[in-house]
Amino acid sequence: MSDNDLTMPNLSRRDVLATAGALVIGFWLPPRADAQIIHPEGAAWAVEPATEEVNAWVVVNPDETVIVRIGQTELGQGVWTSNAMMVAEELQCDWSKVRPQYASANRDAKEMAPAWTLKVPGNGAQDPSGGGEPEFGDRNRTGVSGIPDSLYRRMRTNAASSVKDGRYYLQLAGAEARERLLLAAAKLWGVPVEEVSSKNSIITHRPTGRTTTYGKVASLAAETPHPHPERIRIKPPSEWTLMGTEQKNLDVPMKVSGKAVYGIDVHLPGMKWAAVKSCPVYGGKVKRYDFERIRTEPGVISAIQFPIPEPRLIRGRIFGGGVAVLADSWYQAKAAIEKMPIEWDVPPENAARNTDNIRAKLLASLDDPVKASVNLGDCDSAFRTAAKIVEATYTVPYLPRARMEPGNATVLVTDNRVDIWLGDQSPQETRYSASQITGIPETNVYVHLCHLGGGYGRNGNGPQAEQAIYIANKNRGTPIHLLWTREEDFINTTYRSIGVARLRAALDKDGWPIAIEARTATDAEAPGANAGFDGAPRYFAPNYRFSIHSARFHIPVGTRRGVGAPAQHFYRESFMDELAHAAGKDPYLYRRELIARTTLPYKADMIKALDVAAEMSGWGKPLPRGTARAIALEEHGAEAGHHATISAMVHTVSLGKQGQVRVERVDVAHEEGFSLVNPLSVRKQIEGQIVWFYNDAMYQECNVAEGRIAENNFDRFLLSRIKEDPPQINIRFFKTGHWMNGMGHDRGTSIQSAITDAVFQISGKRYRDLPLRNHDLTWS
Amino acid sequence: MDLSVNGVRHSVDVAPDTPLLWVIRDQLRLTGTKFSCGIAQCGACTVHIDGRPVRSCSVPVSAAAGKAVTTIEGLSPDGRHPVQLAWMELDVPQCGYCQSGMIMSVVALLKRHPNPTDADIDAEVTNACRCSTYHRIRQAIHVAAAKISTGGGSL
Repeated sequence: MSDNDLTMPNLSRRDVLATAGALVIGFWLPPRADAQIIHPEGAAWAVEPATEEVNAWVVVNPDETVIVRIGQTELGQGVWTSNAMMVAEELQCDWSKVRPQYASANRDAKEMAPAWTLKVPGNGAQDPSGGGEPEFGDRNRTGVSGIPDSLYRRMRTNAASSVKDGRYYLQLAGAEARERLLLAAAKLWGVPVEEVSSKNSIITHRPTGRTTTYGKVASLAAETPHPHPERIRIKPPSEWTLMGTEQKNLDVPMKVSGKAVYGIDVHLPGMKWAAVKSCPVYGGKVKRYDFERIRTEPGVISAIQFPIPEPRLIRGRIFGGGVAVLADSWYQAKAAIEKMPIEWDVPPENAARNTDNIRAKLLASLDDPVKASVNLGDCDSAFRTAAKIVEATYTVPYLPRARMEPGNATVLVTDNRVDIWLGDQSPQETRYSASQITGIPETNVYVHLCHLGGGYGRNGNGPQAEQAIYIANKNRGTPIHLLWTREEDFINTTYRSIGVARLRAALDKDGWPIAIEARTATDAEAPGANAGFDGAPRYFAPNYRFSIHSARFHIPVGTRRGVGAPAQHFYRESFMDELAHAAGKDPYLYRRELIARTTLPYKADMIKALDVAAEMSGWGKPLPRGTARAIALEEHGAEAGHHATISAMVHTVSLGKQGQVRVERVDVAHEEGFSLVNPLSVRKQIEGQIVWFYNDAMYQECNVAEGRIAENNFDRFLLSRIKEDPPQINIRFFKTGHWMNGMGHDRGTSIQSAITDAVFQISGKRYRDLPLRNHDLTWS
Repeated sequence: MDLSVNGVRHSVDVAPDTPLLWVIRDQLRLTGTKFSCGIAQCGACTVHIDGRPVRSCSVPVSAAAGKAVTTIEGLSPDGRHPVQLAWMELDVPQCGYCQSGMIMSVVALLKRHPNPTDADIDAEVTNACRCSTYHRIRQAIHVAAAKISTGGGSL
């Protein structure tokens, strides 16, 4: 296809060639050019509707189906369903007719948010009738935090915040659409709107019993503005009928039939495939390559070198430069690039890095004199009067997300338009990147969101889109589908930083801490370095000091699932176990007493979580030899009195004499705040995250050797299988008096300290560095 | 080369050492079968050859010549194979990327063990799921087995 195809006004439709379920998309330039692609079954991207929308989130079709636009990205955490539930709760439409679809990031570049979405109703995070006081932060839509004022507000999917940040305006969107549908019916019938109400998409005039449907009045509603949108109120949890119920995820039928269209599945007419090799040492680039050696390989078209992706487009991270080979099929491109000689220009200081010297530098940084983040009382004096001092040093490795779908993006650049198909947790950022790389304005960039084969942090935090846009920009008019091998996916991703921590406690003669000092260190660019220790101690000590240390390395670090919490919770909860053992006290009751001694706003909720989990687990009841229980607290925001998510888990773990770890059961006490939106999704997230962090505890690590990531496929970077799934996972929810912080990423972290403590209880061996596969766990 | 996929005969013009996966995805445009590791570790690319599960990223297309290949698209015409129904009942998928391969592995398991024990499942379902949906997968396998044994569909 040529550029001309895109600008020919007489092309009135796109061709979709469906060969046995496969997808081929043709192009046309529509009047309103957003995502004018035929919508194949299983595709998720925004499509221009046949019926005029009621508002930017709601389209009601004549057949009564309701399109709900979703501004976040479905990663398996359930937003495809929960976002739709928040709109449908207020809309009062027939839930079985709801059809989610991604919101258009292009429209978001052109339109501002309706004024009625800009103010959060209610009085903060502890007001059940309100929106829950999300933090607006930086309103730059290409930033990494805050809620912008553009049409769909926050389109990024991060920090488990889709419900927390989006609920109030999604409920408002449903309510605004409902009220306008009622106004339209009232206008049609010539009756006062107060006499009209609706349920399940049916509108009733109460005095006469006359009815109509949303689908019949939707066109009129689209032309009927709301006279007082500022007066719209949203329902508190006590009035919810759909939200708070267990709803199956609406994308599941397409995901069990192979129909869901992921980024990797996109085919366009005339499309060429790109296989890539990036410099495996970050900061390195191509010195030379010899395309002549592969020029005649089957299907090969060309090679194109690309520079180190511009760091300012990818949150400052420095990856490598590389080279792509274009071919008719991806396998041809991949087979050819593997035969092509490439020499790298590698910064020698980066190539000199390895796990040992990185970890040694971080450990040394713990003695750097930095200003404490928290310094309560006088730790030094307390340590001088201690009856006993306990000190422990913990370490955790670099960890990638290793989502199952390798990075990919399909990009077509023409003279004044960019189309990008991919799964993406941050389409506003990708839109900006496309504009910066091509010089084409953001208003002419179309990000067509696909299903996403795992995310766990900006879809890998890597430059898949930026590489593909660069290559497509050099091949304008030809759609380019870039796909990484698994090995390239490990190179082109950011990592959870390697981390170390030294915790010290001064205990009195009864074993209670009179001082706790926590020093943690990560790469200086790592996010979340304050998690779990900031503000005030969760476990009371009259003297408390927390300091954040760091050093800078060349491995790009970013937001992996849970961000800072998984490592920091491992340190904190492990240390609490060690203190309880040193004090000769029960680790559950020891934690409980130390939380009770705090003045933290949510201490009652933390105690409740521990009590419920302990009771569920049969805490204290005898276990067979070789089996042990361990308890831990998981909290996010418990120190501040705003949003928080609080849970506790008890893990019952057995250890075979040959060192085989088995998590026999997990008892989970998890808060639901005022209410969860979709408890089924929350259950699924908890089940999955327990095993996610089991992998962190047991197997997963990425080492650095000669500046490169050493483990780069699933033969050496291990994923657990079904045989290691805990046979019993029991989950109980309890209500608290605040809105939750979300729970899609930092639950289940306690399995790390639980397994290490169970190993200690059973074998007497205390290991403080993960993963445990590196240690001898045998006992007799 | 002649290839039979989901009961349809195709003539494909590819190098015989091309992995079956890429013929299925790129030539036949059956994109339900996924690529993930490329080294037969994760199982996202699982399809059946003559009813037996294989990791199609590491099987040359020549090995499938003259045999019957089944992919997720060929499991049922309407997405209502008993394993798919059980998957929907338990709401198994999260991101869903591994689930085509997972379901194909489970169908193969149920062919060998119509009433699998947990030990059978542990031994034979070796696909990886990064969202770790294993808890629901195990329940769904038992539900699917019960459906089939009570006449609620066949493999």
